[in-house]
Formats: sequence, structure tokens, C-alpha cells
Amino acid sequence: MRPLRIALPKGRMMDEALTLFDAVGASVEESARTSRRLILPSADGRFEFLPVKSGDVPTYVESGVADAGVVGLDVLGESDPDVLRPLDLRFGGCGLAVAGPADAAYPDLPHGRTPRVATKYVESARRFFAARGVQVELIHISGSVEIAPLLGLSDWIVDLVQTGRTLAENGLVVFEEISRSTARLIVNRASHKLRLEEHQRLIADLAGALESTA
Amino acid sequence: MPNTRISHVPPGSQDLLAGDVRRRRRVQSTWFALAEEEGYQEVIPPTFEYEEVFTRSAGPELAARLIRFVDRDGSLVALRADFTSAIARVVSTRLASAPMPLRLCYAGKVYRQQAEGMGRRRETFQLGAELIGDPSPAADVEVLRLALRTLWALDIRDFQVNLGDIRFVRPLLAGLSPDAADALRTAVDRKDRAALAAGAREIGAPAAVARALIELPELIGRSDVLLRARSLASGPDAEAAIERLRAVDALLTEEEREHVVYDLGEIRGLGYYTGIQFEVFVAGVGRAIGFGGRYDGLLALYGADRPATGFALETDALADLLAEEG
Repeated sequence: MRPLRIALPKGRMMDEALTLFDAVGASVEESARTSRRLILPSADGRFEFLPVKSGDVPTYVESGVADAGVVGLDVLGESDPDVLRPLDLRFGGCGLAVAGPADAAYPDLPHGRTPRVATKYVESARRFFAARGVQVELIHISGSVEIAPLLGLSDWIVDLVQTGRTLAENGLVVFEEISRSTARLIVNRASHKLRLEEHQRLIADLAGALESTA
Repeated sequence: MPNTRISHVPPGSQDLLAGDVRRRRRVQSTWFALAEEEGYQEVIPPTFEYEEVFTRSAGPELAARLIRFVDRDGSLVALRADFTSAIARVVSTRLASAPMPLRLCYAGKVYRQQAEGMGRRRETFQLGAELIGDPSPAADVEVLRLALRTLWALDIRDFQVNLGDIRFVRPLLAGLSPDAADALRTAVDRKDRAALAAGAREIGAPAAVARALIELPELIGRSDVLLRARSLASGPDAEAAIERLRAVDALLTEEEREHVVYDLGEIRGLGYYTGIQFEVFVAGVGRAIGFGGRYDGLLALYGADRPATGFALETDALADLLAEEG
């Protein structure tokens, strides 16, 4: 039977995920890691890792192309895939927040004007403002969200904040945190049943490794 | 300039030709041969019904996905979203005085709204059966066995049935505010350990309930899981759930047991099923392609209180699996 296929989000979260898998004896050789291969096998033969864009991890796992995946809670909040979410992996911590220029009004604009909010996280922003009963106009953009208020595209932004440095460099401040996010292990529903023992072992191993680093 | 109303069909609909048609017919004829052998009679309910037939039984999830239109007299009608609701109506009206148990089967299309971009169709073929008037574990097994035999008859070997009983989890969610119950139900469904632990704290659950909630994601496996679950069962409902699953297990053959995973956290049909419930997973398809279980309260909603159990399989998914064999 082929190894369990694990979708990982390219970038820093993938490095942290591979470090965790390394701790449970499933290491990826350095030569493979730095290559541009589409699938990275673990040396012990248990897994193969599939590096993809973070927003695509839920799609690969929900469809069953990947048996499991690692992805931030913030990404799950956007696409709400129908998958199992057995473990909080605790790394990749960041917060989704409403921010804007230090002199911008929040949460009410002068004269009752409807605020425009630029974000990559349209669904999460929609849910947050709806729960507050605040009407906003959401503008979906796919990168460099922090320049939107500077260019006059929006009044506020909703974006991920890790250290706050990027915000500060652009003269923005956090008005309010919406949610905290960390990396999650997600598992395809069908694969979980068809290869139950392997998934149970994976979850127990990762939970054990997290326990020992806690 | 081509006319796009002719060159396309609406999203989520499709033409079926050649092999796609032959494979669906093969699945259906295999199914009807098997069902007839077991004494099930085919029912063909109408393609559209008053929408109330579906909203009465279905949870809000299905009710939100009905494809509705306004009839000549202003009544709201809906395309058939589910065979079980239509059959429940037939049994409660035209078959109200028929001798029990009734064995009914069907195959045809169901119509449901789908979000765009997920590659999901709005009209799909289903097949299935309902066994009405028999509350026994033997009836549960008869229906489950019919589902297993359908897969075997189509030469599908690599599959698992995820079997639970809704009465194990239901008492754990009883008495909570709708929001808290909804959050916990979602956490159980996702086997989300972090959310279950947080939820148990938030509702101030008694120790026994908290322990059961946190252990739920682990209560999945072969029949030994039923023994472990028994020590966590709180109250008569949860005990009845374990007892029923053990009775079902005892009636299964060794070969059937190899295809059954017991999962006490299986709650997909909460609000619809009242006893055992199952989902069918096949290698190569990332989601459940069949579901079934006991729905003793459902027929009462249509005026005839009778125990009932049944299942449905997605004909399209089964046909696609035949295609892979060539």
C-alpha cells in the first residue's frame, strides 16, 4: 500500500511541520527537501509530503488526493472544508485582526459612512462584522493588504498579524483581534476509515511529540 | 457567435452518454436484481412534491438545498431532494393499512442545490431501500447487509462502513443552548480534540460527560471499541446504543465484520436518525458515497408512527468506480 500522503503549505509552516514529523522518526533527506520535486518521501517510507500553496491544502485533503494535511486555522476559516481536524499542532501562531491607519476612526466612521475593508480573508471578515452587526463593504485583494488604506482603496484592513512589524512599517495599528490561529492536522474522512490504524498511529505519534516539547 | 444557452447546460447538470449511461444502468440492474431477491418492491415517487414533504423531515441543511418553484396555484413545490421523505409520505398515506413489515426500494435522481466551484452536481442518481415496521437489530442488519452485498455484487472490495448509534452522543448534547450544542456537535463531527476539550470546559460539563466528550475521537475501531465505550456510556440512551451495536455485531458474518468500523462519534445524521447510523467509504473516493440507519421518529411526522430503517448509495460514484476497472 502506498505511503500516507500529507499535504503541507509551502513556506515557514512547512519547515515547522517537517521538524515535527522528524521528531516522530519520519525525516525527509536534505537533498530532497531542497530539490524542486513535487512529492517528498519520508526516509522511513511511512509518508510522502506534498508541498502546495497553503490555501490549496484543504482542497487536496477534502478531495482525498492527500490523506491528511497541515494548515492554519485561518485558512480553514475561509474555505470550511469537510474534513476531520484531530489535532492542534500549536506552531504557526498568528492572529487575524482589524487594522488601519493610526488616525482612522474605528468602529464607527464619521457621518455614518459605510467602512470599506480590504482583506484576503473575506469569509472570516464577513462573519466577524456580521456577528458585531457592523455593515462593511469587503474588498477582496490577494496580497500586500497593508498598502490598501495608504492608497485610499479601503478604510481598514483585515489581515494576519504575527509580530506587527509589517503593520508598523506602514503606519498601521491593530484596532481589534478577530481570532487566534495555529496549525492544524486535518484528515480526509474516507481515508481515515479506510486506513484507520495508520491514521490513529500518526495522530498518537504527533500528539506524543507535541506533549514532549510542551 | 454561438448561443451559450444551447452550447452549455446550467452548472451542476450534465448529459450522460455511452459508457456513463451503461455503467449507471448496470449499477441499477444489479441493485434491483438483488433487492427483488430479498423481497423489496420498487417505488417510483413523483419528481416534484409540495416542499413540506422534504422540510418536515430534513434538517435545516437539506431544507436549505431544495430546488423550489411556485406551482400554478401558488403552492411551493420542490424537486425530489430525498427518496426517504417521499416514501415516508407514501407509507403514511396510501400504504397506511398495509401489513408490516414493508420492504421498499428505489433508484433514480435526486436534486439538491450545490455551491459552485466544488465540482458537485445538482442532480445525482441514488439507489436505496427502506424496511418499515421492524424495530429489531435483525432489521438493522438486513439493511446494512443489503448495502454491503450491493458493493460486492459490483466487484467493489476495498470499502469500509462507519457504524455508530446516535443515542450515544445525543444525551451529551442535551440541555445545552443551541449555540453550545452546535459548537460541540461540530467538534464531535470533526474529531477535533482541542475544540472538544474547550467545549467541555465552557459548558461546565460534569466529569463523566467531559471524559466521554474528550474520548469520543478515540472511540473508533473494531468491536473491542464497544467494550471501551460501555464504560463511558452515561445514561439509558447511551447504554441502549452500545447494546444495539453489540447485537448488530453479533449478527454479522466474519466477512462482513471486516468491513465495519464502529465509530461512536459518527453523528452526521443527528436530527434525522434515531438509532444506528452508518456511512459508506470506498477507496478512491474522498467522501462518503452512502449513508443509512434507523429513523423511528420520521414516519410519525407524516402521520403513521412506525419504526423504519434504510440506506441510500450514490449511483454515480459506484458507476465511476466501474469505469476505473475498464
